Amino acid sequence: MTSEERASSRENLQQPGRLGEGTVATAGPTAVQKPKVSEGRRSERKLAWMLCAPAAVVMVVVTIYPIVYSILLSFQRYDLRFPNQKAWIGLANYGAVLTNSFWWHAFAVTMIITVVSVAIELVLGMALALVMHRTLIGRGTIRTLALIPYGIVTVVAAFSWQYAWTPGTGYLAQLLPAGSAPLTQQAQAIAIIILAEIWKTTPFMALLLMAGLAIVPDELQKAAAMDGASTWQRFTRVTLPLMKPAILVALLFRVLDAVRVYDNIYILTNGANGTSSLSIITYHNLIGGLNLGIGSTMSVLMFITVVIIAAIFIKGFGTAAPGSDNQGRR
Amino acid sequence: MAITARQRSGWTVANIIVALYVLIPVVWILSLSLKDPSTFTDGHYFPRKFTFENYVNIFKVGGFGRPLINSIGIGLISTLIAIVIGTFAAYAIARLEFPGKRLMLGGSLLIAMFPQVSLVTPLFQIERSLGLFNTWIGLIIPYITFTLPLTIYTLSAFLREIPWELEKAAKMDGATPFQAFRQVIAPLAMPGVVTTAILAFILCWNDFLFAISLTSSNSARTAPAAIAFFTGASQFEDPTGSISAAAIVITIPIIIFVLIFQRRIVSGLTSGAVKG
Amino acid sequence: MHTSLAVGATAIMAGTLLSACGSSSSGTPTLNLYAYPEQNRPAIVQRCNQQAHGQYTIKLNILPRTADQQREQLVRRLAAGDHGMDILGLDVTWTAELAKAGWIREWTGANKQQAQNDALPAPLSTATIDGKLYAATNNTNVQLLWYRSDLVPKAPKTYNEMIAEATRLKQAGKPHYVGVTGAQYEGLVVWFNSVLAAAGGSILNKAGTKVELGAPAVTALETMHKFATSAAADPSLSNTMEDQARLAVEGGTAAMEINWPYVYASMATDKPDMLKHFKWAAIPGITGAGRATIGGENYAVSRYSDHPDQAFKAALCLRSPANQKFAAIKDGVPPTIESLYHDNTGLDASKPVDAKTNPSMATAYPMRDTILAEIKNAVARPVTATYQNVSTVTSATLSPPASINPTPTEQTLRAQIADALQSKGVLP
Repeated sequence: MTSEERASSRENLQQPGRLGEGTVATAGPTAVQKPKVSEGRRSERKLAWMLCAPAAVVMVVVTIYPIVYSILLSFQRYDLRFPNQKAWIGLANYGAVLTNSFWWHAFAVTMIITVVSVAIELVLGMALALVMHRTLIGRGTIRTLALIPYGIVTVVAAFSWQYAWTPGTGYLAQLLPAGSAPLTQQAQAIAIIILAEIWKTTPFMALLLMAGLAIVPDELQKAAAMDGASTWQRFTRVTLPLMKPAILVALLFRVLDAVRVYDNIYILTNGANGTSSLSIITYHNLIGGLNLGIGSTMSVLMFITVVIIAAIFIKGFGTAAPGSDNQGRR
Repeated sequence: MAITARQRSGWTVANIIVALYVLIPVVWILSLSLKDPSTFTDGHYFPRKFTFENYVNIFKVGGFGRPLINSIGIGLISTLIAIVIGTFAAYAIARLEFPGKRLMLGGSLLIAMFPQVSLVTPLFQIERSLGLFNTWIGLIIPYITFTLPLTIYTLSAFLREIPWELEKAAKMDGATPFQAFRQVIAPLAMPGVVTTAILAFILCWNDFLFAISLTSSNSARTAPAAIAFFTGASQFEDPTGSISAAAIVITIPIIIFVLIFQRRIVSGLTSGAVKG
Repeated sequence: MHTSLAVGATAIMAGTLLSACGSSSSGTPTLNLYAYPEQNRPAIVQRCNQQAHGQYTIKLNILPRTADQQREQLVRRLAAGDHGMDILGLDVTWTAELAKAGWIREWTGANKQQAQNDALPAPLSTATIDGKLYAATNNTNVQLLWYRSDLVPKAPKTYNEMIAEATRLKQAGKPHYVGVTGAQYEGLVVWFNSVLAAAGGSILNKAGTKVELGAPAVTALETMHKFATSAAADPSLSNTMEDQARLAVEGGTAAMEINWPYVYASMATDKPDMLKHFKWAAIPGITGAGRATIGGENYAVSRYSDHPDQAFKAALCLRSPANQKFAAIKDGVPPTIESLYHDNTGLDASKPVDAKTNPSMATAYPMRDTILAEIKNAVARPVTATYQNVSTVTSATLSPPASINPTPTEQTLRAQIADALQSKGVLP
C-alpha cells in the first residue's frame, strides 16, 4: 500500500498523548470499574461497536481470510497447470523456496533497494522539508510542486524514467557512452529503480519530516542561537533530537513501503537481469507461473519479513512504539 | 520580518532546485506525448515537431476511453464507500469510549503496512470462484479495504478537532440531534471528509498491482494497467507516443487536485503533528 | 458456486459484462480471437468473416507487446474460466502448457485432418501433445546464418569454422563480430536448444517428463563458451537480442548473425547498398550441419468457448493455405504448409507475378529453400506444461554465456530443470 495512509496514521502514532487519552480512559473504567458500567456507557459501547463493525468486517474479510487461505495454500502442491496433482505436502514448498538462489537473490535486491533508497530519501527529504518549512518566498508553490511526485501514478513516473534511459530515445541515455543500455545491466538497472523510488517518495518523506519540524519550538532554536550555536549545530543538537520520533515513524513507513516495491520494477525491467524484488518474484511465480503453492509460500515469507522489520523498528521506538503496551502511559 | 537580498537569492535557488527536481521527469513525458512519432528517437528533451496525434490515437485506436471510465468509476465508488464506513468508525474512535478501540486502530495499521502481493493469490482464487474476477466489484472490494485505514486515521484526526460543545449548545437551543448534526457538525467535518476523500481517491487511482492481477480485459482494467499493456496505435509501431499521452491524461486529475487542494492535502498528511 | 454476492455483482456490472462477452444466443456468434500484434492479421480476419457467410464473426483482440505479457494475459483469463475468449493465437512453446492444464480443446475428426493436411512435421510437433492435436499451426520460423559476402566469402558450416573466420577478420582489422541472441531471455534458450540439438542431445526426453542433457549438453556448453570468449563475440553479447544482432550487422560492426528471416526485409529497407552482399546459409553445427529451433504461432480453441464448432472452423480459415501465403508475403512469416514453399504464383494467383505489385513467395522469399530445408531438420523446444519454468531457469543459468563452465553448468541446469518439471521450480 502506498504511503498516504501511513501519513495520516503517523500523527496518531507519533502522539501517544492523543491516542493515549482514549487508551487510558478505556483502560481505566473498563478494567477497574467493570462491575459498575453505567447504562450510558453500555449504550455508548454498543453504538461504537456498531459504527466500527462495517469497517472491521470489510478489513477482516478481505485480508484475514485471504491470509489464512494463503497459509493453507503454502502447504499444498497446487499448480494450476497440474490441477489433478493437488496435494498436501507439508513444508516442502518452504524448503523449495528457501533453498532457491533466485529467492535469496530477490531478497538481497529488495534489501539493497530499501536501504539505499530510504537512506537517500531521508537526507533529501530532510532538505526538502527544510525548504518547504522555512522558505520565505513561494511557499505555497513549492508545496504544490512537491505534491506532484507524491500524487503522480507510479506507473507514469516509471515510464518517464524508462524512456529517459532508453538508448536513442532518452535525454539521459544520451549522456552515456554509445552502446550502453543501462536498463539491461543489473547494477545500473537497480540504480535506476532506486532513482525512480527516490524521486517518487522523497516528497512524502519530506511531508512527514516537515510535520516533525513544526513541533520543534522556535524558542529553543533562538535560545541555542543566542548561546552561539551555528546553524548546523542547532540542526544537529536541537532539531534532530526533537524530531527523532518523527524520523523513526517516517523511516518505518518508508521501509515497509520500499520492501514491497513493485510498480517501478514491473515497468522498468520486470525483474529481468537479476532485478527481481520480493514482490516481483512472488508475482511471477503466482501469476506468471500459475504455481499457487510456491506463490503463496513466497507471500507468507514476505509477510513474515515485513512483520520482522516492523518488530525491529518497534523495538527501536522503545516506549513510543505504535501499538506497544506502554503507549500513552508516559 | 524583512527578507534580505541574500536570503531571497538563497531561497530562490533552493526553490528552483526543487522545481527542477519535480518537473524534469514530468515535462519529459509531456514532451514525449507531443513529439511527432518520427522524432521519438532524436533524443531531444523538448519536441522539435509537435503533434496531438498521440492523444487522438489513444482514444480512437487504443480504446483508452474505457479504462479511463473504469478508473474513474471504480475510484469514485471505492472512495465513496470507504468514506461512508470509514466515517462511522472514525466517529466512534474520535468520540466514543469502547473496548477494542486499540485493536481497531492497530488492525487498520497492520493492513496499511501489509504486502499487497500476499493478497494477490487468495484474492485471485476467491474472485475467480465467485465470478468477480475481471469485474468492477472485484477491484472495488480490495480498494475499499486498503483505503479504509487511511480514511479511519485521517478522519478520526479531523473529527477530534471539532469543538463538540457546539453540538451541545445547538441542542440546548432546541435543535434536534439530526439538526445539530446537519447544521453544526457536518459543515465543520466537511473539509476533513473532502481531504480524506481526495487522498483515498489518489490511492485508488494509483493502484497497479491489483489492477493487473484481478482484471484481464478492458471491461474492468483501470488506466494504469491499460497503459502498461498498450500495443501502440498501429501494430508495428512502438507505443511510446500512446503511453506518454495516456500517462499525461491520467496525471491531469492529480495536478488539478494538487493545485486546488494543496493546503488540504498537506494538512491531511501532516495535520496531527503540525497542530500538536 | 455463485453466491448472492456474485449475483449482485452481476446485476450491477451487467453493462460492463455485456461489452465483454459480445456473443448472443441468437444470430451470428461473435468469436473472440486473441493474438499478438501482426500488421496484416486484421485483413485476414476480414477475409474469413466474408467467407463465413454469417456462420460466425471473428473479432480480433490484440494482446500486449511482450511475449511474457501475452502469455500472462491468456493464462490468467483461462485460469479464471473466462468465456470471452474463443480462438487463441499461441506461441509454439505455450501450446503444451495450455493443453496439459486442460484449457484448450483437442482437435478431432475432420478438423484435425484439415489442420494436419500438408503441414510440416516440425511445426506440427509443437501442437501435438501425447499424440493428440491441440492446435492448428499458423506460421513457423527458423533462424538462419546471415553473413556479409564481401567479408566472408564462404558461409561457415560449424562453430569452429565461424570462430576461425571471425579471428581471421579481426586480425585483418575488419568487422568480425557474429551476432547471436545471448541476452538472458528466450533467445538464449533458442540458441542453447539449437546447439544442443547439433551436438545430438536434447533438454528433455521425448515425453517431456525427464531431463536429458548429459554429455551432448556439455559439448554444447563448451561450444557456446568457446564462442562467447572468442573474437566472434560482441562485447555486448550478454545483452544482445534479435534486434541488437540485426543492428550490429546493419551498423557495420558485425560480419555475421544468427537470426530470423525478418532481418532480410529490414536490410532491404535500411541499408539497400549492403543487401547485395547480405547472404544466408543454414545455421552452423558442431561437427556437421546445425539444427534450427522452431518458432512460430499456433491457433487453439479455448475450453471455455461457447461456440467451439464455429471456433474450429474459423481457426481453420485463419490458417488456410491462402491466408498463410498472404501472411508470408505481406508480413514475412514463414508458412507451415509445405506446398506453399513450392508455390510460384503471385499474391493474386490470376495475375502475372511482379515483385512490386503482385509479389510471389519467390520474390518476397528468396531464402525460402534454405528455410524449408532447415524446418525439415529443425527441433522443437521442450514440449512440457512447465515450459515457462524450464525456459526461465535455463536462460538464467546460462547468462552470461562467457561465464559458462560446461560440466558444473550442466549439473546446475539439470537440477534446476528437474525442479521446474515437478513444479517445485522457482521463477526468478
